[in-house]
Amino acid sequence: MTATLDRRDRAPRTGPPAVEVTDVSKVFGSGADAVVALDGVDLTVAPGEFVCLLGASGCGKSTLLNLVAGLDQPTSGTVAAGSARPAVMFQEAALLPWLTAGRNVELPLRLAGAGRTERRERARELLTLVRLEGLAEKRPHELSGGMRQRVALARALAAATGMGGSGATEIQPGVLLMDEPFGALDAITRDFLQAELLRVWEATGTTILFVTHDVRESVRLAERVVLLSSRPGRVVREWGTGSETDVEELHEHITTELREVISAHGR
Amino acid sequence: MAGEDRAVITAERDESVDVGRGLDALDTPTERRVPLWRRFATGVVPPIVALVLFVVVWQLLWASAIWPEFKLPAPGAVFGQIADEFASGQALSIIWTSISRAVLGFLFALVIGTPLGLLVATVPLVRSAIGPLLSGLQSLPSVAWVPAAVLWFGLTDGTIYFVVLMGAVPSIANGLVSGIDQVPPLLPRVGYAMGATRSQAARLIMLPAALPGFFSGLKQGWAFSWRSLMAAEIIATSPSLGFGLGAYLNQGQSLSDMPSVMAAIILILIVGIGVELIAFRPAERRILRARGLATGP
Ligand SMILES: Nc1ncnc2c1ncn2[C@@H]1O[C@H](COP(=O)(O)OP(=O)(O)OP(=O)(O)O)[C@@H](O)[C@H]1O
Ligand SMILES: [Mg+2]
Repeated sequence: MTATLDRRDRAPRTGPPAVEVTDVSKVFGSGADAVVALDGVDLTVAPGEFVCLLGASGCGKSTLLNLVAGLDQPTSGTVAAGSARPAVMFQEAALLPWLTAGRNVELPLRLAGAGRTERRERARELLTLVRLEGLAEKRPHELSGGMRQRVALARALAAATGMGGSGATEIQPGVLLMDEPFGALDAITRDFLQAELLRVWEATGTTILFVTHDVRESVRLAERVVLLSSRPGRVVREWGTGSETDVEELHEHITTELREVISAHGR
Repeated sequence: MAGEDRAVITAERDESVDVGRGLDALDTPTERRVPLWRRFATGVVPPIVALVLFVVVWQLLWASAIWPEFKLPAPGAVFGQIADEFASGQALSIIWTSISRAVLGFLFALVIGTPLGLLVATVPLVRSAIGPLLSGLQSLPSVAWVPAAVLWFGLTDGTIYFVVLMGAVPSIANGLVSGIDQVPPLLPRVGYAMGATRSQAARLIMLPAALPGFFSGLKQGWAFSWRSLMAAEIIATSPSLGFGLGAYLNQGQSLSDMPSVMAAIILILIVGIGVELIAFRPAERRILRARGLATGP
């Protein structure tokens, strides 16, 4: 039994990429204070793929994610994110505190103009998917940190997949962007939520681009790990993981590479 | 092999479900419901005891006759005066005159202060132009406007409403500005990431998020309306202005009728506290409780 056992080996993916970043650069400010956050980044994510962006603090991971989310514009290069708008999840759950968990999940559907009964039904479905059935009437402050993050996951899924099909199996897969979503949680809750995310990913077939600076997390979750260098952020290397990968060896390997990238900065 | 793996997976999954349930149960904040008698004992009893003590001390001071009767009347005389005014129906008419003015003035202030606050909060140029003035006006006692208002509007309702507006509008506008300023920037970002248009983000995210700050501005705005109204009524008295609590107080002074002066003060206080308790407190509690911000029982 290998540690990647709970990963379903998938058929090779076809069709147009879900996310395509071509030669993207991003410069903040101008003149002497200009910060080159990203420089000539290329990244392609296939539909249904789970990709982790790995890099040291301040290397431009969030910047890249914001560009893909359309929250910011690149200085040069192009960002294409499939047909539908990608959904974003942040380190904080960022739930609206005056709405119940159910209403929070409904919000993206409401913004998209869905009717009241159908979006309520869909929110119930998604809350069940993240194992929060029956908690739709709770307010965010009545939930634990891990539960709030799962409500945020359900909301992001609602945003990424819209009304979907009538059942959880017929959901239109969307694109989910996650910026260190478990970074603020304790180790046990994080471990549990990583397993939950994998389960949800398998159940929905959603494309996931996941930012982290935790090598172990990236190796556990992703099918492909992309390492970014710091200032300017560039793609240094990438690794695929499969059922025959030795996790410990890969972890060791990526950690070494990451150290090298970081210490290159000190020189 | 494959079947065996699946069995292992299922076992792992079940275990993880249990872990999840356990984590949820352990981490969920528990809400403590304060029993009704406890809330009564901590919220209602102390003010009543304080009030009784106050009246007792007053009665003792009066009985000791340190001050002459026309300076310190007996509690009984003052409460008798209030009872008489209610019995003759005059109290209700006086109170109604004042409250209807204060409420109308407050509503005007709301209609002016809300767009003003929105403008200051969202347009940087407007903010730098009139933001400081608006907070400055908040500390200017609105009674200072009475002489100017009398010269501009004469002894009409215009004077009264002008003074009330100058008292309440800055509070309401500033409340909205600080409410909007205190919204965590992540909330509108999340909204835009979910595809909200600007107007949707304003309506569904910014305004509800700014509500606690706005509401405390409203509360202060009401207090300032009431205060400013009393100042205006005491200073600007005329038969053409109707007979409100302020005029009643003024009349008590000119007749050297201490019981009715104190009766007026008590009525002004009761109306102020009453509106706060009946209208603002429950709404504020609902707003804060929905957000998990409520403090105290
Ligand atoms: N709005 C901005 N204005 C100026 N500089 C910025 C801005 N946003 C980010 N930067 C700079 O761009 C670089 C990349 O920032 P970014 O937030 O993308 O890093 P990150 O990889 O997400 O880091 P972390 O792991 O700490 O979240 C940093 O050096 C940061 O200082
Ligand atoms: Mg970041």
